[in-house]
Formats: sequence, C-alpha cells, structure tokens
Amino acid sequence: MHKIESNNVNFYYGENHALRDISLSMKENTVTALIGPSGCGKSTYLRLLNRMNDLIDGTKMTGSIVIDGADIYEKNTNVDNLRKNVGMVFQKPNPFPKTIFENVAYGLRVNGITDKNEIEERVVTTIEQVALWDEVKDKLKKSAFELSGGQQQRLCIARALAIKPSILLMDEPTSALDPISTSKIEELIYELKNKYTIVIVTHNMQQAGRVSDTTAFFYMGELIEYDKTKTIFTKPAIKQTEDYITGRFG
Amino acid sequence: MASHLETELGKLRGIIIKIGGLAESQVAEAVKAVLSEPVLESKEVKKTENKIDKLDVKIDDICQSVFALQQPVASDLRFIISAMQISREIERIGDLSMSIIKLTKSIKEKHELISKFNIADIVRGAEDITAKTNECFLNMDETSVEEIFKLNTDVKSKSSDAIDNIIGEMKNNSKTVVSGTNLIIALKHFERIADHSTNIAESVFFMINAKTIKHEKFSDKN
Repeated sequence: MHKIESNNVNFYYGENHALRDISLSMKENTVTALIGPSGCGKSTYLRLLNRMNDLIDGTKMTGSIVIDGADIYEKNTNVDNLRKNVGMVFQKPNPFPKTIFENVAYGLRVNGITDKNEIEERVVTTIEQVALWDEVKDKLKKSAFELSGGQQQRLCIARALAIKPSILLMDEPTSALDPISTSKIEELIYELKNKYTIVIVTHNMQQAGRVSDTTAFFYMGELIEYDKTKTIFTKPAIKQTEDYITGRFG
Repeated sequence: MASHLETELGKLRGIIIKIGGLAESQVAEAVKAVLSEPVLESKEVKKTENKIDKLDVKIDDICQSVFALQQPVASDLRFIISAMQISREIERIGDLSMSIIKLTKSIKEKHELISKFNIADIVRGAEDITAKTNECFLNMDETSVEEIFKLNTDVKSKSSDAIDNIIGEMKNNSKTVVSGTNLIIALKHFERIADHSTNIAESVFFMINAKTIKHEKFSDKN
C-alpha cells in the first residue's frame, strides 16, 4: 500500500482549472520532488495533501487523496489531526517571535502536552534530529530571530517534526537560503526520509536530483511524467520533461 | 551527517579498487600463461573476466547517476571523470589478459624463444606496472606516476628489441614461425596493458593536480 495516493484529482481556483486529473502515489519513507515551471500546479498539489487549500475561498477539489488508507477529503476527516500527521515547511523560514526553545515547544503545548520533562525531551530530540543542537544548545532562551536563515529553517523543520508527523511537505524550503545552508537542509532531507515520507516542491532541478527518490513533472496543471528521479534525469520518457530539465523551455 | 555525494564517491572508489585488483590478478595469470607456469582453470579466469565486465558497467551506472543527480564540481568532478576513464582502461586490461591466456595456450615450442630473448623480464615488467598503478590509485600517490611512465618506456623498448629478435629467429628457423608470431602478439598485448596502466596513472595525476599529462612525456609536463 502506498503512503499517499491521489486519484484523478482536479482542483479549481474559481473558474481556473489549476490541476487536471492528477493521479500520483508515493511510497512510505521516500522523498518525492514536484518540479515544473511557475504556475504549473505543483504547490497547489502539495497544499492539497494537508488541506491547506481549504483556507482559500472559492476553491473546489474533486477526486480523492488517500493517506494511510483513509480519504482525507471525506466529511468526517479531522483536519487538525491530518495537519499533525502531515507537517509543512515553507519557502521562507517563519519562526515564531519566541525563543528557540519555545518555537519547538509551542506546538507541543498547543497539542495538549503539559509534562515539562516530556516537552524538554522532545524539543532537544527534534533539534538534534535537524542537526541544529550543537549550534543552539547554549542559546535556547534567545530569540529565534537571532539565528541565520538556514538555522531558522532547520528550526522550523524541528518545529514541524516535534509533533511527530509521518509526512513532511516542503514548499521550496531552500529558495531563500545560501548554498551552505541549502546543502545542510538537503542532507537533512536525505537523513529524514528514514523516518518520514517527504514531498518537496522545488524550482531547483539539481536539488530535485540530489534529494529525491521519485520526481513528478507538472506542466500547466497536468502531471506530465512521474518516475524514479534517476530515470527522469537520465532518460525521461516524455519530450516535454526532457525539454524542461535540459532548460529548453520553462 | 556524511554527504550523500561523499557516500557515492566512496562507493565508487571501493569498486575501482576491487576491479583494479581483479585486473591485476588477470595480468598475473597472463604472465604465468606466457611463461608456461601453472595457471588457474579457464573457468576461474573467465569468471574473473565476467566480474570485471559487471563492475565496469556498475561504475558507468554510478557515474551517470552522480553526473545527473549530484552535479559534482572541482575535485569531485575530476574524480568522476577519471573513474569512468580508469574503468575503461581496466576493462581493456582484463580483455587483453584473456586474449593472452587464450593465445599462449596454443603456443608450443615457446620455451626456447622465451628464455633466449628474456621475455620473462618484459611481461613481468608489464605486470609490475599494473600493480604499481593500482597502488598509485589506492594511495592517490602522484609521486609514483613518473616511475610508472619510466617503466612503461622500458617495457616498450625491451619488447621492441625482443620482437626484432623473434622476427630474426623466424627468418632463420621456419619451425618457430607459428610460436614466434603468437609470442609477438602476446608481447604487443603486454605493451598495451602497460599503456592502459600508464593511462590510469595519468588519470590519477589529473585527479590530484587538475592537470592533463596525456600524450606527453612525463618530463615535458613537469
């Protein structure tokens, strides 16, 4: 069974038919990269996986998205629980205006965890998990804004991981970062896939190559090709994919 | 966290060391075959040859993935380019060794020519170059490159003299024509083995120094 299964997904922003018949399945503990030119629907598709598009007025979705065997668009779906299970990291690091410690602890408290020891343990574990511990262990009480962009983004990843999701969505997580921070996040993604299923939207095709197991190429709301990343980058089956990854259009 | 690229490069390095070792053992068998020493069963030699071929394909496959997915630059890029070249050279060394083994099995009356023209010295010289090249890669030791170049020149010169002498012998004694011709082919193969090994040393030099010394005498470039 696949971790995530999308079947004939269509999505509309009002009259705009943004996604057309997207059927895409992702295995557990893999990294899937969504690539394609701006406006192709990759971020829209990503946000469907934790129902973030529900927050936009005038949108409509048809088809089904099944996570762990359950259709997440069924009426009785608990969206809060869904978003706990499907964490998200955004393009720009967006730490809360709180201390480094509180940035991770906050989500735990909101989710009803009150035991001080447990909170502390989970904060430390997740900060370690994102390879940030050595850099922040002596300044946990300092504002998260004192961290560099790359550190802030790793903190945001720690914040997402603290509430123990099984899926992590990343929307261009390194586009605002310098090459060194980017490389740290990429290595982190590579490590995290042992425990999580990761879906990443990226404009950087080299990044898709470096971090993902499978790659989906979107163009004008359609899924043009979906295959192992190595296949996509060495012998894509569709000419449009080849033209895009070789920089001939888009 | 070890970099994903570093893991791939480490894997590649391990395979090159392995394939280099296999080729070295094939050359050793070829030397024994020429010198009429006991050799491994053909089945074993063939098995090693198949292993070399498979590893050669595997190296190509890893290099292709690394190029397509990891975008190596600087020393990593040189390593990948060199890995592909080295693998090609090693595969040829394996093929040539096999040809020598097959060829020399059918040579009769070769003992006389071998001892008369000091063939053992030449073929062991080529074997020595192969071993030294493997060490050169293993230790990334550019200091041995010059020695490998010199040894190759030495093998070539001795082989050329031996071939002239064998031709002379064939002219005088028609009985030696068949064995002499085969021996000349075997010597040419050993010369090629030494050349391929020297090419590997060139690749190691390129890997370390980002400097090409192809088609040049070592002393011209340094």
